[in-house]
Amino acid sequence: MSRQSNRTTDNKKMNSELFTLTYGALVTQLCKDYENDEEVNKQLDKMGYNIGVRLIEDFLARSSVGRCQDFRETADVIAKVAFKMYLGVTPSVTNWSPAGDEFSLVLESNPLVDFVELPDNHNVLIYSNLLCGVLRGALEMVQMAVDVRFAQDTLRGDNVTEIRMKFIKRIEENLPYHIRFF
Amino acid sequence: MAIFSVYLVNKAGGLIYQYDNYVPRAEAEKTFSYPLDLVLKIHDEKVIVSFGQRDGIRVGHAVLSINGVDVMGKNTADGKDVIEYLKDSSNYPVSIRFGRARLSSNEKLMLASMFHSLFAIGSQLSPEVGSSGIEMLETDVFKLHCFQTLTGIKFIVLADPRQSGIDALLRKIYEIYSDFALKNPFYSLEMPIRCELFDQNLKIALEVAEKAGSFGPGS
Amino acid sequence: MTVHNLYIFDRNGACLHYSEWNRKKQAGISKQEEFKLMYGMLFSIRSFVSKMSPLDMREGFQCFQTSRYKLHFYETPTGLKFIMNTDLSVPNARETLHQIYSTLYVDYIVKNPLCSLGDPLQSDLFSARLDTFIKNLPYFNPRAA
Repeated sequence: MSRQSNRTTDNKKMNSELFTLTYGALVTQLCKDYENDEEVNKQLDKMGYNIGVRLIEDFLARSSVGRCQDFRETADVIAKVAFKMYLGVTPSVTNWSPAGDEFSLVLESNPLVDFVELPDNHNVLIYSNLLCGVLRGALEMVQMAVDVRFAQDTLRGDNVTEIRMKFIKRIEENLPYHIRFF
Repeated sequence: MAIFSVYLVNKAGGLIYQYDNYVPRAEAEKTFSYPLDLVLKIHDEKVIVSFGQRDGIRVGHAVLSINGVDVMGKNTADGKDVIEYLKDSSNYPVSIRFGRARLSSNEKLMLASMFHSLFAIGSQLSPEVGSSGIEMLETDVFKLHCFQTLTGIKFIVLADPRQSGIDALLRKIYEIYSDFALKNPFYSLEMPIRCELFDQNLKIALEVAEKAGSFGPGS
Repeated sequence: MTVHNLYIFDRNGACLHYSEWNRKKQAGISKQEEFKLMYGMLFSIRSFVSKMSPLDMREGFQCFQTSRYKLHFYETPTGLKFIMNTDLSVPNARETLHQIYSTLYVDYIVKNPLCSLGDPLQSDLFSARLDTFIKNLPYFNPRAA
C-alpha cells in the first residue's frame, strides 16, 4: 500500500536527455539493421504499439480517467493528461474535421528530437513514429480503432510537429465463441 | 426515490407479469448539419449511438424520431432506412430525437428468462454451501431485488439504489399474488396474470412502498 | 468476515489469475469450465443490466449477492475484469479491486516486459503480493467465518 500512496507524488526523476539519447540510439540502430526507412518506420510503429498496450494500463491506474464516450473527450485526455504525464508537454488540439472524427495534436516542441538533425539520405524516415504506435496501441485497448500519422514534423522543416488522428471505429466486445451459453 | 418496475417469472423462466411503474424520460432532440458527428450502429434491431455524446445525447441512446417522424427499429415510420437516410447530405439539416429505447414485450420476455438462468448460475458458482441464486444485483443507477418462493416463482423489483423497504414489498407482492391470482379460480397456474384486482392492489402496494419506504405492522 | 476467492479475466475471456482463500464449496465442474461459466455469467449480466436499466449508467454492474455470498465486480476501461467473492458483511469492495489493478497488476505484470499480456499470469511475485494484500484486508478473517 505504501507503494501506492507515494506513486503519484514520487514521479521518479530521470534525466530526460538520457531518454532522448536512448531513443536516438534505438532509431539509428534500426536504420543500420534495416537499411530502409519505410521498414524502420514500420518497426517504430510496432514497438510503439507494444508500449501503448501496456502504457494504457499504467495511465488508467494513475490518472483516474474513466472510459471516454466522445472523441473530443479522448482528444482532451490525450493532450492534457497523457502527453503531460509521459512527455511533459501539452500539445494543442486543433483542425477538427466537420464530422468530429479527426483532429490534430500540435506540438510546439517534441522531446524526442531535441538534438536531432535529419541527414538528407533519410528523407522518408519518420523519426518519432514510435509515438503513433503508442497512441494506436493505447486506444485499441480502450476499444477505439484509430489511424495515427505525422502530418508535419519540425525535423523536415515544418514550423510545428503535427500528429493527425482519425477515428475509424469502436471495437465491439463480443463474448468469445467458446463461452456462449445463452 | 422510485420503484421502476416489477417482474414475475414462473419456475420455467417464463415472464407471467410485468409492470412499469416509473419510466424516467431521458430524451434529447437536436438539429444536425452534415456530416453527423455521432457514430451510430445497429444493435438489437435498433439504431443506437455507439460513440460520441453531447447536449444530453448519450452513448446507448436510440434514434427515436427524425424530423418528427417516429422511428421503428431500423426504419422510419414512412419506410426510410435510418442509417442510409443520415448518410445522405441532401437530407440535412435534420432534426433527430434521441433517447433510451423502451423495452418491447419480446425483450422483456427474453430478459426475464435470461435472469432466470443468471440466478441459477449465481447459485452454482457459490463458494459457500447452500447458497440461493442472485437476490440483489446492484448497478450505479438501480438495484434489482429478487425473491424466489419455495415453489420457484420469482418476484423481481427494480428500484432506485436508495429505495428502502423492498424486502417487505416483495413479501407483499407475494401476498397479493396468492390472494388475487392464485385464489382466483379462473387463473391457471404458470400462465400470464391478467387480473384486474391484482393490478389494482399491486399499484397500491408500490405507492405505499415509495412513500413510506416500508410497511407498518399488519399491512 | 472473509474473502472466498478472486478471479482476474482479460477482455477476451481468458482467466489470467485465480486464487482462493476460504472456499467451502466447489462448483462441481473443472476449473476451466468454471472460468468459462463465470466469465459468461458476467458478460451476460453486463448486457442484461444495460438493457434493463431505466437510466443511463456510468459504472454499470457493481455487485450482486445471494443468501450466502457477495460477488464484487470491477472492470477497467481496457476490459480487464476483477471479481472477488466475499461473505455478505463486506461492504463495497470496488476500491479494493481497483487497488489490486493499479498497484499490483499494473506494477508487477504490465510493467514487467517478460510477462506477456493475455496469458495466465506466471509471476510468483504478483501471486505472493496479492496473497499478502488480501490477507491484510480488514475483512479478511477466516476464523470469524
